Amino acid sequence: MNVAFIRELHSEQKKARHKKIWLVPLVFLLFEMLWMLWQLSKASLNELANGYFMLFYHLPIMNTILLPIMIAVIASRLCDMEIKGDTLKLLYTMQKSSRFFDCKFLCGLKYLFFFTIGHGIMILLCDRMYHFKASLDIPMFVAYLAVTFCVSAVLFVIQQMLSLISNSQIMPLVIGLAGSFLGLFSLFFPAPIARLIIWGYFAAFPCVQMNWERATRMIEYYKVPFSLYEFLTFLAVGIFIYILCKRIVVRKEV
Amino acid sequence: MTSVITTNSLTKKYKEKTVVDHLDLKVPAGSIYGFLGPNGAGKSTTLKLLLGLIKPTEGQISILGKEVNLKNRLEILTQTGSLIESPAYYGHLSGKENLQIICTLKDVPEQEIDRVLKIVRMKEQKHKKVSHYSLGMKQRLGLAAALLGNPKILLLDEPTNGLDPAGIQEMRELICSLPRKYGMTIIVSSHLLSEIDQMATHVGIIDKGQLIFQDRLSSLHEHSRSRIFLRTDQDVAAMNILKQSEIPAEWREGTLCLQIYEDDFVIKAVSTLVNSGIGVYRITEQQMSLEDIFLHLTGKQVSL
Repeated sequence: MNVAFIRELHSEQKKARHKKIWLVPLVFLLFEMLWMLWQLSKASLNELANGYFMLFYHLPIMNTILLPIMIAVIASRLCDMEIKGDTLKLLYTMQKSSRFFDCKFLCGLKYLFFFTIGHGIMILLCDRMYHFKASLDIPMFVAYLAVTFCVSAVLFVIQQMLSLISNSQIMPLVIGLAGSFLGLFSLFFPAPIARLIIWGYFAAFPCVQMNWERATRMIEYYKVPFSLYEFLTFLAVGIFIYILCKRIVVRKEV
Repeated sequence: MTSVITTNSLTKKYKEKTVVDHLDLKVPAGSIYGFLGPNGAGKSTTLKLLLGLIKPTEGQISILGKEVNLKNRLEILTQTGSLIESPAYYGHLSGKENLQIICTLKDVPEQEIDRVLKIVRMKEQKHKKVSHYSLGMKQRLGLAAALLGNPKILLLDEPTNGLDPAGIQEMRELICSLPRKYGMTIIVSSHLLSEIDQMATHVGIIDKGQLIFQDRLSSLHEHSRSRIFLRTDQDVAAMNILKQSEIPAEWREGTLCLQIYEDDFVIKAVSTLVNSGIGVYRITEQQMSLEDIFLHLTGKQVSL
C-alpha cells in the first residue's frame, strides 16, 4: 500500500465527516439485538441450553432480511455525496477512478467490519444474559461472522456500483429492498435457483440445522459441517463481481 | 510565445456523432485563452479531454511540453486546476473541510487553504456548510479548490454560468488577475462573446466540434471590417444604378450597403449615383462587431 493510496483513503474518511454513517449499522445492530432477546425470552429451557445453536440458526435468516437494506443505505450515504456534489469530475483529475472505487469500498467495509464485530459481541452478550449451557463453538462462531462479513462485502460492492452509476439513490435503495425480499424467498427456492440469488447467501452456509417434530412439537438444533469449498467458491465469485462492478464504474464517463 | 497546451488532431466521437473534430489547440503560456462557441459546440468535451476525464477517439494532447497518456496523466494534472461545468463540492461539509479533502488528495499543505480562500474572498465563510452557500460562493469555492497547489494552468468551464451580474463581474476580475499575479495560464470557456471579449488575450472559436478561429483577441478584432451604408432619396433606383455600374452592393438592415470598402470604390459609387441624379443624404461607416464576426464564422446567433 503506497503513500498516495493511504492519502486517498484518508480523504474518504474526511468526506464521511458529519454524515453519521455509523448510526446505520448501529441501528440495525440494536434492532437485531432486540429481536434476539425477544426470541430468547420465549425460548424453552431445552432451546436455551443450546442457545448458540438457536442463534446461529436464526441469525442468518434475520441477516438475509435486514442486511441488504442496511448495506444499500450505507452505500447510498457514502456515494450520494459524490453524485449530489458532482465531484467525480474533480476527483478523477487527482486520483485514478479505479483507486477511488477501491477507497470507497474500503471505507464502506469499515462499517461492515464494525457491524460484524458488534454482532459477535452481541451474541456473547446474549450468553451472558441467558447463560447458555453449551459452550461457544469457536470455529462455528468464526465461520458465522466470516460469512456475515464476506456476503455483506459482496453485496456492498454491488450497491456501491449502483449508487455510483445512478443519478438518484432511489433505484439502488429499491434494489437493496427488493434484494432483501428476494433473498428471503430464495431460502424456499430449489438449491440451483437459490444459488443464483446473491442476497440469500447469508443463510447459504449453515453451521446449524433444525429438526422439528410435528408430534412432540419439539425443535432440535444440530451441527452440520461448514461447507468451506462452497464458501471459497463464493469468495472467488465475489472477487469477480468486485472486478466487474469496478469496471462498470471506471468505464462510466463523468 | 510557447504553448503550454497543444492538441494535435484531437477527436472525440460518440458512435457516429463527432463531438470534437480534429482540434489543433495552441494555448500560449501566460495567456487567458477564451474558448468560445455556441452551446453544444464541444467546449466542455474538449476540456474534459484535456483533463483525461474522457478518452479521445483520435489525436494527442500535450500539456507543459509532455504528451499526456494514461500513465503520466495524473502527474501532469498536478500542475493544473480545473472547474468543469457546475462546481464540485460536498454540501454536508464546510468550505474549509471541502478544501482539506482537496489538499489531502493533491498532497498540498493545509496552510494553503487560507491563501486560496483569500484570493477568492471567501475567508469569512469558510466554516459555513457549503450546502448553505449561494451559487456564486460555490463557484468561488470551486475556483479556490482549483487554485490549491498553485497550478500553472487553470481550466475553467463556463465559470460565470448561473451567477448574478455582480457575481459575474467579480469572477471576471478574479480570473483576469490570476495570470498577472501568479503567472498562470487560463483556459476559460464560454458561449458569451462579450465575456470572452472582456477577459481573454487569446481566443479559440469552436463550432460543431471544429476549431474555426484561433489567434489573439486583437486579431479577431482586426477581422471586424467596415461597412459603408448609403442613404439616398431613391434607394431602389440607386441599387439598380450601382449594379449596372458593376459596383458590388447589397441590402442590409433595409439599407443600401457597399460590399467593397476601399476609398476608391466609395468615391466611384457616390459619384456614379450623383451623376445619375440620385441624391445622397448620408454615407455611414459601420464597424463589424465581434458578434457579427462570430455570426459570420459560425453562422449561428451568439448569446450576448
